[in-house]
Amino acid sequence: MKKISSIVLAVILVFTVMLTGGCGNSSKSSAAGEVKIGVILPLTGSEAMFGTMEKNSFQLAYDELKAAGKTSVGGKEIKLMFEDDQSKQDVAKSAAEKLINQDKVAMLSGGYSSSCTKVIAGSAQTMGVPFLVVTGSADDITKQGWQWVFRGAAAPASKYTEALWDMMDKVIKPKTAAIIYENTDFGTSSAKAFRTACQKKGINIVFDQSYESGAIDFKPMLANMGKSNPDIVFAVSYVMDAAMIVKQMKELNLNTKLFIGGGAGYTMPEFKENAGNASDYVASTTLWIPNVKWPGAKDYFTKYKEKYNKEPDYHGAQAYATMYVIADAMQRAKELTPAGIQKSLKETDLMTIMGPIKFEDWDGYTNQDKPNTYVVQWLKGNLQVIWPQDVSTAKYVFPVPKWNER
Amino acid sequence: MHLLGQTLISGFLLGGMYALIAIGMTLIMGVMKIVNLAHGALVMVGMYVTYICFVLWHINPYAGMFISMLLLFVLGSLIQRYMINRLVEVDSILPENQVLLTVGISLVLTEVIRFIFKSDYLSVSTGFSGKTVFLGKMSVSVPMTIGFVIAMVFTYLLHLFLNRTDLGMTIRATAQDRDAAVYMGVNVSRVTMITFGLGSAFAAAGGSLLLPMFYLWPDIGHLFTAKAFIITILGGMGSTAGALLGGLTLGIAESLGATYISMGYKDVVGLVVFLLVLLFMPGGIKSLVKR
Repeated sequence: MKKISSIVLAVILVFTVMLTGGCGNSSKSSAAGEVKIGVILPLTGSEAMFGTMEKNSFQLAYDELKAAGKTSVGGKEIKLMFEDDQSKQDVAKSAAEKLINQDKVAMLSGGYSSSCTKVIAGSAQTMGVPFLVVTGSADDITKQGWQWVFRGAAAPASKYTEALWDMMDKVIKPKTAAIIYENTDFGTSSAKAFRTACQKKGINIVFDQSYESGAIDFKPMLANMGKSNPDIVFAVSYVMDAAMIVKQMKELNLNTKLFIGGGAGYTMPEFKENAGNASDYVASTTLWIPNVKWPGAKDYFTKYKEKYNKEPDYHGAQAYATMYVIADAMQRAKELTPAGIQKSLKETDLMTIMGPIKFEDWDGYTNQDKPNTYVVQWLKGNLQVIWPQDVSTAKYVFPVPKWNER
Repeated sequence: MHLLGQTLISGFLLGGMYALIAIGMTLIMGVMKIVNLAHGALVMVGMYVTYICFVLWHINPYAGMFISMLLLFVLGSLIQRYMINRLVEVDSILPENQVLLTVGISLVLTEVIRFIFKSDYLSVSTGFSGKTVFLGKMSVSVPMTIGFVIAMVFTYLLHLFLNRTDLGMTIRATAQDRDAAVYMGVNVSRVTMITFGLGSAFAAAGGSLLLPMFYLWPDIGHLFTAKAFIITILGGMGSTAGALLGGLTLGIAESLGATYISMGYKDVVGLVVFLLVLLFMPGGIKSLVKR
């Protein structure tokens, strides 16, 4: 009896291995009819929610392109191969190497967290395969002078705040500021840029602290911050930390004139759902909004909502636009080799739902698109654009009412 | 001054709930000498049960907790009976097999939950989720206080159970000397099954108490496994009082670290305490009491 069950167990194990390994292997037979594109995203782990949204958006764009006949290039069919990086750098590296060496992909895309993106970019650069970043935003990813790394739909972290600074100069005019940020690549990169900008404008930073993502209790840090009584708070967090932070600020009855999130978590629908009415009047920088003027933006939003029954935010839009950039570059490439695609990517000039995308060299960046940024604010449960004023959908509320006056 | 008070209160309340999760682990580790790395995954499953009860039938999380505890008791017993027992009873090639097995169990639980619920963040918001009471200038969160009180009650009940009832004493006897217990006529495999079930039920309780103020996703288990592990070592294996003190110590240490050093180093503070205990007090808090 024991023997039989151990045999059964062994068989199950073998099957599991085959199933998990199989995703990659099945495509080895692909031969000449396909051109493969590797997409590395966090599909499991704590960032899986973002990764899944981006994968869905890739798929949505791919299906549209397919319907329009744009997924075949010179008789070859474009094929997306998704790999999971589990938000871990070592896994991201092996995924990139596997895609390049075993699957012989023509180019790479994906990259959600900055730390994983950096690792993938490193592999792509050394092995000479083009890599088009979807989200990873740390400044130095496109500051290494790496010719094989392109960033189109994502802004460098320090440029997320362009529209915000414009608004700061004209409306907010704070004297003191507090910075709280998660101690990740993206968090430190954003905080550093904000700090430098504050120093330049003579804004006094009265509180400046990082935190470890996934904490249950932010109160010690928040209470400490409250003591310094800042005019504004600038916070860089992923979605659930963001919700915990504003909820606990409400519990502590901690008031500031304006709470500004640095993108990422503060614009997500989940943020509002989890933070409840504590999310009211929270402002954030963002790279995209459904009602932006670029063609197709609103369409994407409704289509995504219909198909997946959830609202996408700018992360999904980045992936969607990226897929269009890839298809466009493929169509124009003279030859479907890494070098051919690199050349054609460099010549990209495409209108997407994230705005026009071009890969330019500026300010020390290489192959970096110049981003458009916005400031949004949660007003009565809806995310409204409040800056720049020519595209705003609602009038900003500043200074925001105190917790006990709401 | 009120900053110190706020820090201590936060740490103390959180520590109580950490303790409840760790008590489940300390029971299992102490009695069965098994490093149960699936403990966090059990906490996670317990939280999902409570979550489902809330969403589908609108059962208050504090009531849903009991359903979740019951289910997890059954799940834990089954895991022990049909999986872990097989390794404990056989002389295996590697003693680390249990570790591998529990890691495997935790992966399976996590991925099954991900398969059903996707990786979305879920949370339960009840009327009292954001309620606070102000003591002077210090804010005390209502759900945290309720959680703390319930955790303390459970700890006390478990303490009584282990010291006053026959079954409890059998569990302690098995923990002290498994072979001797067998010679005295203790049905050891039944005892270990119940212990594992109890440990899982406490894991579920701890998770459910956190649910109204925290959130939930399939990978949340790792967080709890790590915390429970540290606390178990801090407190000394198999000791309820030790786990309680260990939990409170960790909670307060983390809070103090967050306020006075930096929240970015919160986990470092916990781990430094852990290392110091291992170096200078290898028996944990329990060994202090004995002396």
